[in-house]
Amino acid sequence: MSVLNRGIKNAFRNNIRTASITLILGIAIALSLIMLLSLKTVQARIENVKSSIGNTIAVTPAGIRGFEGGGELLSKTDVENLASIPNIKKISQTLSDRLESQNTNLKSAIEAGTFGRRIQQEANDLPELPREITMPIMVTGTNDLTSTSSLNVSKLDITSGSVFDVNTDQNIALIGTDLATKNNLKVDSTFKAYNKDIKVVGIFDGGNTFANATLFMPLKALQNLTSQTDQISNLIVQTDSIESVASVETALKSKLGDKVDIVSQQDSSVQAIEPLQNIKTISTYSLIGALIAGSVIIFLAMLMIVRERRREIGVLKAIGSSNIKIVSQFTVEAMVLTLMSSVIGVILGFIFSNPVLNMLVTNSQSNPTSVSASGRGFGGAVMRIGGGVMPGIQNTLRDIHAVVGYDIILYGLLAAILIAIIGSAIPAFFIAKIRPAEVMRSE
Amino acid sequence: MLKVKNISKIFQSGDRQVKAVAGVSLEVPGGIFSVIIGKSGSGKSTLLSLLGALDKPSSGEIEVEGENITKMGDRKLIQYRREKIGFIFQNYNLIPNLSALENVMLPMEFSGIDHKHRKNRAAKLLEQVGITKDKFHRKPSRLSGGEQQRVAIARALANKPKLILADEPTGNLDSATGKIIVGLLKHLAQTEDATIIAVTHDDGIANEAKLTFHLKDGKLAA
Repeated sequence: MSVLNRGIKNAFRNNIRTASITLILGIAIALSLIMLLSLKTVQARIENVKSSIGNTIAVTPAGIRGFEGGGELLSKTDVENLASIPNIKKISQTLSDRLESQNTNLKSAIEAGTFGRRIQQEANDLPELPREITMPIMVTGTNDLTSTSSLNVSKLDITSGSVFDVNTDQNIALIGTDLATKNNLKVDSTFKAYNKDIKVVGIFDGGNTFANATLFMPLKALQNLTSQTDQISNLIVQTDSIESVASVETALKSKLGDKVDIVSQQDSSVQAIEPLQNIKTISTYSLIGALIAGSVIIFLAMLMIVRERRREIGVLKAIGSSNIKIVSQFTVEAMVLTLMSSVIGVILGFIFSNPVLNMLVTNSQSNPTSVSASGRGFGGAVMRIGGGVMPGIQNTLRDIHAVVGYDIILYGLLAAILIAIIGSAIPAFFIAKIRPAEVMRSE
Repeated sequence: MLKVKNISKIFQSGDRQVKAVAGVSLEVPGGIFSVIIGKSGSGKSTLLSLLGALDKPSSGEIEVEGENITKMGDRKLIQYRREKIGFIFQNYNLIPNLSALENVMLPMEFSGIDHKHRKNRAAKLLEQVGITKDKFHRKPSRLSGGEQQRVAIARALANKPKLILADEPTGNLDSATGKIIVGLLKHLAQTEDATIIAVTHDDGIANEAKLTFHLKDGKLAA
């Protein structure tokens, strides 16, 4: 029977106590792991937000908002001038147009309603509108189908067919699911627009009703069809990091001058990150608290055990055991208790990491400051072209999931060892202080 | 074998000092069964803990086989207790979650003896003190008082000590079992060539000893 065996055996000396300690400590370790996971997940999301949301700059022709205002669209030359600006990762270009009933056979998937009728009446300067009116269909030519922010969609899921080559000038289109349904269109179907046959290559779900009633075409194709060769109505400039947004913004102003309106997303990204930062702060403090709680639990448990076995420690010393051997025996016992607790902690961590993270997210969202921060910014201009729509900001807290991997078992073991060492260090001091003569006096 | 020169032990009790052992000197030759007898509170157990290096005397010297244990450092004292001393306690003080065999093996583990040898010796010792094989793997709680004391004696003999110190070894036993245990200790003193010093308040045990010391108020009586 070695120190190791004795330590293991001692851990099971009092089954009720062992079960109680293990369960309580297991909950503390589970909480530590859950908070660690939340912290890691949120940190990863913050990095993701910083690299994907906060580093975009919307460039629109000055004076133009959507289909309102006036002025000149941007040109291919303007974009080529931007090539020399450092720290630009990519430039997504779009040209938008409205397909009216006179130049397409498509029917809009959106009903006019009171709002649509009023807009139509004002736009056409009519004293009275006919009973039945058709809403225009928004068509966007793009050179980048990966940039959801430039396409004014919250996502771009292809439900059938495939995406098109953005560099082609063929008359092909991706159409929204609602528009496809309304017009009985499928992949390879054709429809009329600008007096040409346009072939449907894919159908997409854009994540909202407005997006699903629109269609996308290759930029060059739409430029040709609308006789706006090399014209661009909106640019989304993506920088290589959030830190370079300010310098790129300055360079854009310098290159394009007063002919454009430039709005960076830097402030909004800070606001978007705010709820994530709240979760991160809660997770950090909870992690520290849970680790301290775990250490205190094992410390008090070991202290209680040492005090209870005072005489036994005296006997061990009387029959020739060194302090190191006795301390080692108690450390092994603490280690066994914490390892068993870790198993419980890891299991509970697996089960509760996502529910707890969701709870933290919900609480963070219910914070009025956070909600307005995450929902504000560019999201309000979804309807308009060139409005600088960046709906990704709204999604910083959406679809956030803790990924529980094998590394968490490693963290669990490390936490157990750390807690066991901290928890048995002070009882070890008390063990060393017990004099073997106490075994005689206690009699 | 054992020489005690004018040892004293003073305890601080609140703001007054209590002299538990006051200037005791004695000499015990090797291989005999001797007894320190005295009433409760006479300082017997304190004297025994000083002889066994469980506590340090306030003054005086103790020599065991020519070695002055009062001048030893903590590490040496652990070694001394491990190799030279065997303890038998009134309450047996066996480790409750270890079997009889494991309890006897324990001091040998501290001495670094390998598992196989300590298991063989523990079994031999248990047989020697009258524990049958079927009880080797029983926990102390499943042994009678007499059996537990036998296991404690076997544990005290484990490292072949030259000095065995027994604190009221029959104190918790009925008189018949007590007599058997005393007989066993006397026998072991001869067969194991060990000096056994038992402290007791029982005159019956004192009558069995070759050498008896009377302790009263911390001092040896004439």
